[in-house]
Amino acid sequence: MEDLREWIRQELWDQVPVAISVIDRSFHIIEANRCFANTYGEWRKRPCYEVYKGRTQRCNNCAAVETFEDGQLRIREETGLIREGLQTYYLVHMVPFFRPSGELPYIIEMSTDITAHKVLEKEKLEAERLAAVGQTVAGLAHGIKNLLMGLEGGVYVFKSGLHQADSERMLKGWGMLDENIARISTFVKEFLEFAKGRVPQVHLVSPNRIAQQVFGLFEHKAELAGITLRTNLQPDLPYALMDEDGIHTCLVNLVSNALDACEISDRPSRSVVLSTREEGGTLVFEVTDDGTGMDYEVKKRVFTNFFTTKGSDRGTGLGLLTTKKIVQEHGGRVSYESAEGEGSVFRLQFPRDRLPHPVEEAKSEMLCKTGG
Amino acid sequence: MTSQVGITPKKILIIDDEPHVVTYLETLLQDNGYETVSAANGREASEMLQVGKPDLITLDITMPEQSGIRFYRNLKEDPAFRDIPVLVVTAVTGYGGDPEPFEHFLKNRRQIPPPEGFFSKPIDQDEFLRAVEELVSQKV
Repeated sequence: MEDLREWIRQELWDQVPVAISVIDRSFHIIEANRCFANTYGEWRKRPCYEVYKGRTQRCNNCAAVETFEDGQLRIREETGLIREGLQTYYLVHMVPFFRPSGELPYIIEMSTDITAHKVLEKEKLEAERLAAVGQTVAGLAHGIKNLLMGLEGGVYVFKSGLHQADSERMLKGWGMLDENIARISTFVKEFLEFAKGRVPQVHLVSPNRIAQQVFGLFEHKAELAGITLRTNLQPDLPYALMDEDGIHTCLVNLVSNALDACEISDRPSRSVVLSTREEGGTLVFEVTDDGTGMDYEVKKRVFTNFFTTKGSDRGTGLGLLTTKKIVQEHGGRVSYESAEGEGSVFRLQFPRDRLPHPVEEAKSEMLCKTGG
Repeated sequence: MTSQVGITPKKILIIDDEPHVVTYLETLLQDNGYETVSAANGREASEMLQVGKPDLITLDITMPEQSGIRFYRNLKEDPAFRDIPVLVVTAVTGYGGDPEPFEHFLKNRRQIPPPEGFFSKPIDQDEFLRAVEELVSQKV
């Protein structure tokens, strides 16, 4: 036991695979362990932002400032520059060092390299993106099938009119061809529009107002289909930096999907609820439907492999992909749950500290990083 | 073309909310000697049933007002109508246009028999007509 205690006293500091530094109130590193020196290089008499991030001035949202202020332990994910100038991801614990007098002169920063995990996470995201592309292609195929049915129908009706010298029938068939060609044109335009993408316009917006607008858009349609559409919005929900049109698009997609899911369900009473709330620093939008009377396996398939809308007037199957793309641009995530006989919940979660900056601010942040 | 000369034409109810599909199937079936009626949704179709019982129904799954699946369930639960054969004609299929997952879904509904046929849009005209003829001639 004694030898172990001795090792802890003498060796632990330099043997742990965690980079530890001690920062004073001027944000200079006054002590560091071997792992830190190996990872970040020379640290003596240098400020933390320079060593960790290669910056010339203090970071925005500095966790150390906050811990100096309130004496609370903080855990964060950060990116930094290691010795070779490579970008690294690390999980940092900000541990306050209190003197018996209550004074807080230092913070111990303990950083664990999580780059390998982050790389895996990115690969997983990429795989998900590819899966979404697969779904889109399947969706496109369904859209094309409907168009083909219309075109083949037009050809048949026209030919039938021709055989029977029925000019009215011929005209009818010709009209079907005409209309379906116009639909293909719209379909292709929408698809190209998506492929092109758009630059998000980030402003301070009211999440509830977007939800209200989307509700207004579908209120009548839901009523016609015999589906109850409601909102459940947390009052006084704080404004958020978001691309209003983008979030609008996401909610339109989710509500539209939920209504479609209700439409193919065979339950007599069906409802869709669009809700907003704040949950531990995360802004949450949720679209819940209780309309699906399908068993779990099928429901999963319906949401991944099926395309329930028909014709260009009811979408192009890009909904899920578009939604994922926009949400990711906002640093958020899309998730869903389905339970047999209970329906489905689609959730958009936006951690507020990961929301994008307005265009000008984002630029200056970039300059800082490259300049440092 | 006219396979039913001399006998009362068989009546087929076409249920689809796409007017083009209705026109297409109407023309195709009429050209082959069938009488047709049509409905744009499940509710209209239920009313049609009260007017006169058809010999066969072609049914789309995704429609506003009342879904095709709900209509199908009601039909197969009604002793007066459950013997009418149903051909599902839909663009809703599985991945890559594979109809199997959807057929599987329809077949796994509790207490409801599977539909008599399943056609993925766009239909194969010959196959479709063959299935229609087979089903209406079986039912005497």
